[in-house]
Amino acid sequence: MTYNPETKMVGEGVKFERIRRITGYLVGTVDRFNDGKRAEERDRVKHTPVGQ
Amino acid sequence: MLTSIIKRDGRVVIYDRNKIKMAILKAMEASGSTDFDKADQVTEAVESHFNNQNMKNTPTVEEIQDQVEHELMASGLDNVAKRYILYRASRNTIRERKSKLVKVFDEITFSDALDSDVKRENANIDGDTPMGAMLKYGSESAKDYFLKFLLSPDQAEAHREGYIHIHDFDFYALTMTCCQIDLIKLFKGGFSTGHGFLREPNDIQSYSALACIAIQSNQNDQHGGQSIVNFDYALADGVRKTYKKLYLKNIAKVCDVLGEKVSYDQLKEISAAITEKCGAMPKITPDETYVALELEELKKLVKDPAVAEKAQQFALTRTEEETDKATYQAMEAFIHNLNTMHSRAGAQTPFSSINYGMDTSDEGRMVMKNVMLATDAGLGHGETPIFPIQIFRVKEGINYNPGERNYDLFQLAIKVSAKRLFPNFSFQDAPYNLKYYNPDDVRTEIGYMGCRTRVVANTYDPNNEITYGRGNLSFTSINLPRLAIEAKGDEDLFYRNLKKYIDLCVKQLMDRFAIQKKKRVRNFPFLMGQGVWIDSDKLDIDDEVGEVIKHGTLSVGFIGLAETLTALYGKHHGESEEAQKKGLEIIGFMRRILDEYSERYKLNFSLLATPAEGLSGRFVRIDKKRFGEIKGVTDKEYYTNSFHIPVAYEISAYDKINLEAPYHALTNAGHITYVELDGDVSQNLEAFEAVVRCMKEAGIGYGAINHPVDRDPVCGYNGIIGDVCPRCGRRDCEGVPLEKLQRLGLYKHLNAATLGQCGNQLEEADRIPNRI
Repeated sequence: MTYNPETKMVGEGVKFERIRRITGYLVGTVDRFNDGKRAEERDRVKHTPVGQ
Repeated sequence: MLTSIIKRDGRVVIYDRNKIKMAILKAMEASGSTDFDKADQVTEAVESHFNNQNMKNTPTVEEIQDQVEHELMASGLDNVAKRYILYRASRNTIRERKSKLVKVFDEITFSDALDSDVKRENANIDGDTPMGAMLKYGSESAKDYFLKFLLSPDQAEAHREGYIHIHDFDFYALTMTCCQIDLIKLFKGGFSTGHGFLREPNDIQSYSALACIAIQSNQNDQHGGQSIVNFDYALADGVRKTYKKLYLKNIAKVCDVLGEKVSYDQLKEISAAITEKCGAMPKITPDETYVALELEELKKLVKDPAVAEKAQQFALTRTEEETDKATYQAMEAFIHNLNTMHSRAGAQTPFSSINYGMDTSDEGRMVMKNVMLATDAGLGHGETPIFPIQIFRVKEGINYNPGERNYDLFQLAIKVSAKRLFPNFSFQDAPYNLKYYNPDDVRTEIGYMGCRTRVVANTYDPNNEITYGRGNLSFTSINLPRLAIEAKGDEDLFYRNLKKYIDLCVKQLMDRFAIQKKKRVRNFPFLMGQGVWIDSDKLDIDDEVGEVIKHGTLSVGFIGLAETLTALYGKHHGESEEAQKKGLEIIGFMRRILDEYSERYKLNFSLLATPAEGLSGRFVRIDKKRFGEIKGVTDKEYYTNSFHIPVAYEISAYDKINLEAPYHALTNAGHITYVELDGDVSQNLEAFEAVVRCMKEAGIGYGAINHPVDRDPVCGYNGIIGDVCPRCGRRDCEGVPLEKLQRLGLYKHLNAATLGQCGNQLEEADRIPNRI
């Protein structure tokens, strides 16, 4: 884990992991998505649950 | 005076008139002209043209060639000119290609994956690592070679121009896609990985270890994913063996404590003899005959008969719990291994899937319960496991309704999936899956590869309509939106072109199949050499695999039905009933043609709702360049996956499921439907279950529910993270004061001196309490 002794801060530059599914597989970070899939993931909207 | 020329790479070299003359002579030869004297005349004319000009600039090769063309025509040598032009064009293509490949190599060599789309073509290969980059060099040069030398010109053009996309093209002449591995058959009598023989496993730990090795080994023989089709039934055998072992050891221990000398080996012999006699063995639900016979034998071994009774009773009551623990550990190891092991020169974690859900035996149930509990717990720091994709088979009468034997496991699957995104759900009762199901033959249970591929029908061998040992051979997708744009509203033209490109794809799949057929067993030491692929156990090491791979499927896929409908009719299938009707007509048309091809060739042609990872951006990029930005068609960076309703379209889960379900019935090579749920669904399992049940009732074959699963590596928080981490309060990439983390009970053993830049074990351990 990164530590900056001057500011006494932990984790500078460390990204959140966001697990997402593409094609059926999960990927640990959107950074590894190609450009098309990255855009698709960004555009996804949520669906109203069944019965609501 | 013409003394020098500029080459294509910018270098200035001395002019050599012989080069011009030789090129003209070659063109004459090719065109059948014998007027060789004219070669000199034309050369002179070219020279004098440049000499007569005011020679301020040295001419380029291209300018000289233009002039040669001009002079050939002027001299009435039209046929020679034609040959010269053709030759020039073909040289240009080769040169252009070379430089394109070199550009790709430059990108692999000098760019970060973050900036390079080429290096992120497959999200599970790390293009920044040496092995990942090496794989990329190989992959890109193989593609270049296959495109130039193996494809017929019409196929090459269609692929290059983006009318079709030949998937896994880098493996074009090398192997097939995927396989559903039957572990029971593989483990029987042991197997070899090509680097040593492994004995038949004897407890659940080694079952789980060898299951990983099987996936890893097969992944190296094929270009697609690998799936275990019978994870429940197969691993249950390991549980049985572990139970028996622990049971007999428990008897031996109690005897020992109570002063009787009975060895484990003696007990094994007794047990084997009883099994021989009555067919039963020690198991979770005890067999009465076995227990009675065993007690008789035990009494003969001990001085005090009471000890025999106590020992057996102890074993009968304690062994299940111990077996359960051992199974949990084995499942935990299985998941950890599949997330850390590598294949393909270390560049890639194997793409693994496991199917389970319908084994109702105690042992099979123990496997399923524990693999889900281990998934629920997550990896070492509570991370969500990326592999294996888990697919829970839902079946009425077995796990769907309260009171059914595996209903508890279905409920657990819902709970785990609501936290970890897996398992996905496959539906045995969907009519097109149920059709093949025979309750007396587990091999007819439906199997999906994690990505969605499905193989069960068998036109080649109708006696083998099973999922075990089979898979896809190769697949090619059609750019449906392109055909729709080019049709400009003319439905007939669209269908004519669609037919044309399906025919082209089938021809291309057949050409590829002709190459695959010629491969021999030794080309696939595991897949074929170990009898993983159906019927390959009947072949010798030097036999061709041509016959047995006919059990596999040749699939034509598609992308962007939504954009296709918008281009043709102005609306997509989420927006209008009419468009939905038209969508089903298009996909039904494709399926009919492929069914006809299956019958004609007695091969398994099938229709695929293509997974399309790299392809999602590729087609639309080309089409945007060609046709500009068309609203609802080329105005995004991707085409919508297969028959999906566009991801940005507001729609209820119920409507989405019911609109997509009919396409599952048509896409016999595989399909998946996603529903996106908001918020922390692990707190609302009813909503989650309602979606799964809705999928089942609608006739979905394979589905999954997406919901946000985030993790902050700094404080270890798992759950939904908006802009700010709910635990430590930092934003993406921000630091947190060490003091604040320590106030939260984290990093408590660490200070500025011990907090390393990376991989400090103390620090890692310190983050574990966060798994709450």
